[in-house]
Amino acid sequence: MLEARSILLAAAAGFASLVLGPAAGTAAPLGDAEAPIRIALNEWTGQNITAHVAGQLLEKLGYKVQYVTAGSFPQWIGMQDGSIDMTPELWTNNLGDIYPKMLEAKQVEPVGDLGLNARDGWAYTDATLAICPGLPDWKALLEPSCAAGLATAETLPNGRLVDYPADWGTASANEIEDFKLPLTAVPAGSEGALVAELQAAAAADKPLLMRFWAPHWLLTQVKLNWLDMPPCDPNDGARCILPSPVIKVVRAGFGEKWPAAYAFMKQYQLGAEDQQQMMLEIDQNKKEIGAVVGAWVEANSARWSPWIDEAKK
Amino acid sequence: MKPASLSFSASAILGMVAMPALMLACLAAARAVPAIAAFPAGWVIPVPAAINTVLGWLVPALQPVTGLASKVFGTLLDALIVTLQFLPWPAVVLAVALVGFKAGGARLAALVLAAGAYIVLAGFWRQSMVTLSLVLLSVPLSALLGFLLGLGAFFLPRLRRGLELVFDFMQTFPAFAYLLPLLLLFGFGPIAGLVATAIYAIPPMARCTLSGLVEVPRERIEVAEMSGCSTWQRLVWVELPSARPMLALGLNQTTMAALSMVITASIVGGVDDIGWAVLSGLRQADLGKSLLAGLVIVLVSVVIDRITAGLFRPRSAVGSGKNRPRWQPILLAAAAVISLGLAARLAAPDLLQGWNETRGIVDLGMLNKALLGFVARYSDLLDAIKNAVLFYLVLPLRVGLAGAVLPMTWGFSMTPAVTAVYAALALLLALRQMAKGRPSGAAAILCLAALLHTGFVAFPWPAALALAVWAAWRAAGPRLALFTGLSLAFVLITGLWIPFVKSLYLVIVAVALCALLGGFFGVLAARSDRFSALLRPINDALQTMPQFVFLIPALMFFKVGEFAGLIAIALYAVVPAIRYTETGLRNVPPSLLETARQLGCTPVQSTLLVQVPTARPALLLGLNQVVMAAITMLPIAATVGTSELGQQIYIALGKADAGLGITAGLVFCLLAINLDRILRGVAGRLHSAQ
Repeated sequence: MLEARSILLAAAAGFASLVLGPAAGTAAPLGDAEAPIRIALNEWTGQNITAHVAGQLLEKLGYKVQYVTAGSFPQWIGMQDGSIDMTPELWTNNLGDIYPKMLEAKQVEPVGDLGLNARDGWAYTDATLAICPGLPDWKALLEPSCAAGLATAETLPNGRLVDYPADWGTASANEIEDFKLPLTAVPAGSEGALVAELQAAAAADKPLLMRFWAPHWLLTQVKLNWLDMPPCDPNDGARCILPSPVIKVVRAGFGEKWPAAYAFMKQYQLGAEDQQQMMLEIDQNKKEIGAVVGAWVEANSARWSPWIDEAKK
Repeated sequence: MKPASLSFSASAILGMVAMPALMLACLAAARAVPAIAAFPAGWVIPVPAAINTVLGWLVPALQPVTGLASKVFGTLLDALIVTLQFLPWPAVVLAVALVGFKAGGARLAALVLAAGAYIVLAGFWRQSMVTLSLVLLSVPLSALLGFLLGLGAFFLPRLRRGLELVFDFMQTFPAFAYLLPLLLLFGFGPIAGLVATAIYAIPPMARCTLSGLVEVPRERIEVAEMSGCSTWQRLVWVELPSARPMLALGLNQTTMAALSMVITASIVGGVDDIGWAVLSGLRQADLGKSLLAGLVIVLVSVVIDRITAGLFRPRSAVGSGKNRPRWQPILLAAAAVISLGLAARLAAPDLLQGWNETRGIVDLGMLNKALLGFVARYSDLLDAIKNAVLFYLVLPLRVGLAGAVLPMTWGFSMTPAVTAVYAALALLLALRQMAKGRPSGAAAILCLAALLHTGFVAFPWPAALALAVWAAWRAAGPRLALFTGLSLAFVLITGLWIPFVKSLYLVIVAVALCALLGGFFGVLAARSDRFSALLRPINDALQTMPQFVFLIPALMFFKVGEFAGLIAIALYAVVPAIRYTETGLRNVPPSLLETARQLGCTPVQSTLLVQVPTARPALLLGLNQVVMAAITMLPIAATVGTSELGQQIYIALGKADAGLGITAGLVFCLLAINLDRILRGVAGRLHSAQ
């Protein structure tokens, strides 16, 4: 009886590991270490750092890696047809529709939060305080003088809020509507447009209210103050701006092909401070990304050696 | 021209009154009937969903073929990239310089060396070789397909009209709109971009092939027929050699088109090329970085342009024909340089790989500082310019004088009295046209006055439809009128009317700005050779620079919104305005100018009263090119926050909704093609009137 039970338990455990894939704690062999793991490189420095740190640590584990430049939308086609194996930094606030569809079809698998403690919300330049002295409280935006100071020819008589590109979602416009703020959300069209807008406003010392996120390389150069957002229903993503979770995503079948890499990716974390410090080296001091990431990896072995140990177990 | 008649016959009065009356009736009806004010949502047909259904069936059916093609071309591309990146840069630059020497002598060879030096110093050697591989693969392919299509159109005259329409679609369909189906068909990677490049680059070759073959002198064909040539022999021995200059022009234009599309297509990623560097720079709003990478493309374009132009120049046109080196020694020397480079690379692999991966020394970072410094210093002036254009040009078109004329900006509002004065002014202008015997001119003025009063967005759709069909009829006859009517009907039933109208007025404002500025610079260039020589390289750079680069200064100066988009569009579209104005004015017979001078005209008078009217057909053709250029820039300007069709395309891309993207793309093409045909019709009428 006891024997039968233990056999059953073993079978159940085996079944579970089949279904769940190699979980942390079980032995994780390297798998197909000859085939390079192809990591997506998107268009922004922060993501490139996350990708290179993951890549260099995977190399320490004994893998070959290859970096593939990929637009943040076309990369999903790459994940579908097998030209890309993972995207290590996915901001879930501007996903579009293709990722949820692929998730549903089990073509990709999220492997946990990156730990980037991202921030998302409305922010303003110092010069804005002169016309809206009640900031950072959101009720300051209700003052007519504040809205008038933020107004432009296109938004009159409302104040102007520079919003994310329309294809990233329109939560700002919904919050403006829900809280009856005298503002008009102007979609920026692209990240470059947001950056240029903020740089120009800071240079000219002009008031500006915009939606933005952190960590972002620009915040090492330009001072931006965060607004205390109106209290919205956190369960309604379309009508409420919340910090976006940043996750790691691998292609379906990643775990079977490279078990140790899969275990490692589940462990992998990168904080905003680390990313920002490396960003400064790359974007401002014009150092080469491989060297900057290499130096960080050398200096922070205490952080990552547990992940490697865990993956090797 | 018909003699001006002062008769106010009944038919003339009807011609003047009928259209404006229809407009006013629509405007009045729109107040009572919402279905006239705005196209009823219930009448919209879900075209995107239908396209998605078709694609859902088509993509899997085509995938075996496209997948195979993708593999073949992917392998070829990889081999090219590996080879070009493996060769040390001095060998590649020297070999190209030798070909340049053959094509254009020592000057061109020096240009090649300078371009190579810049690419290396900027640190873009590896990326340039990837871009060059993409061009080397796409150009022969596009040129061959274009040649065959042009040949097909030559032999089957019945298909010509249809094919020309297809070419128009290929050239105006925004690449972003069909990116999604291409990615699904060809998989992730540069091949999808390569296909997009080919779609854009085929038409110039096809058009030039066709026009070269059609324009073969009649006598030559008769000689061929008399000597008993078969169709095939006539083609190979008579027609193709005669069409040689046009074929060379086609190849040149196809190469230029491919170079510009290669950058746009790199938004997909998959390879680390120049386009990727430009796009990363844009994402960081880093003008220095984008410009640094963009200049590489400008230089590569200039070098390829000069080399192809030099190689295909007819021998008779070269005065110093004897001095031109022959092919054999050039090719031998180039082969020797390449093998030497190869040997060196194999002998000292690490050193030479290091050479190819040199990090850039040129740093345009100070450009960003200068730009921000300028913004800090002159932001009030920039705001004033922006507000002036918005208040007095953009807003009146969008919301009409009724909405835009406010005491705050104009100093008065559209009270009934002001409106009456406005109406009286319009009537007066119309009567002046009547007096010249142009009832339709009078009708046009009244209709435009009504349009300007209401604004584009609020103008009732039946009135807009009628106005457009009427304009097409007047410009080019019933065929175009039918086409225009069907096009607008398509726009209406897809529910994209409002974005379409917003695109239309943005194009109109941009074209107006370009015509004013470009016309001004063109006149100056026509008057002064020195100014003309100064403008030429600037024009070249504006046209070959990746269009994304213009967006950064436009954004910094004028902030997110329509105006920044407008400036970016105008920077690109102003070039044909300058060029056509200059050429048109320079082609005015000198005897005419001499007469004007003798009659006592000042230079300004002779330009305005003699040159401009005489050059009108050329100027209209230029206007046509400005419109096309402006429409090409629209989807790119959408990344600075314009809210029109271009935005729809990005939204479709974000939603992975291929059907919506294609529908918006089709609307885009229809906008471009209709404007093109109407303007060409007007130009044709003016031409025959002269």
